[in-house]
Amino acid sequence: MNKDATLDAKGLMCPMPIVQLAKKVKEMNSGQILELLADDIGAKEDVPAWCNRTGNQLLGTEAEGIVLKFYIKVK
Amino acid sequence: MAEKLCIVVSEGSFDKAIMSLMLATTGASMGLEAHVFYSFFGLKLLKKGTKPKLPGIMKPFTFMMTGKMKKMKMPGYQEMLQQAIDLGVNLYACSTTMSLMNVSESDLVKGTKVLGASAFLNMAADAKVNLFIG
Repeated sequence: MNKDATLDAKGLMCPMPIVQLAKKVKEMNSGQILELLADDIGAKEDVPAWCNRTGNQLLGTEAEGIVLKFYIKVK
Repeated sequence: MAEKLCIVVSEGSFDKAIMSLMLATTGASMGLEAHVFYSFFGLKLLKKGTKPKLPGIMKPFTFMMTGKMKKMKMPGYQEMLQQAIDLGVNLYACSTTMSLMNVSESDLVKGTKVLGASAFLNMAADAKVNLFIG
């Protein structure tokens, strides 16, 4: 998938991936796509919930081993 | 206007300290307006340089948990506190507790505000989420 930036949150536990995700998205422009990498098992539910809450669009999720890749379109 | 998350912390042990900050920090990252009110034994969590310990007989084992958290790349308590402030989490010290425990404003972490119960309840009354950690 096309992406404008990648945030590597591997090795970080909840709530750090979400905290960093929120910070990163703030720095980006509307319509840009962010790839988020995370291996915290909570991220599977947390990232969609965060997107739902904040209005940023979750375009898709891929799993690569234990690493989850989220593609988020910035609001 | 952003929806509010209000948390009351009434105990000063490590678990309450970390959990309340994690929830407030996550809330702020989700676009909620986060307010945390520290009362009674919770107040010491706002004192400069505080290193909270596990409660009761587990106290001497605090270092094991902080060590493990460090290995897992989790921030320490003071770092978490600063991060919460940077993310716009509002931290409040209970004014009555301050008098009871002889704590002055200069003892508190910079960025903390002193409030009374009615000012806090005024916020809590129209918050979507109210949590009590104690």
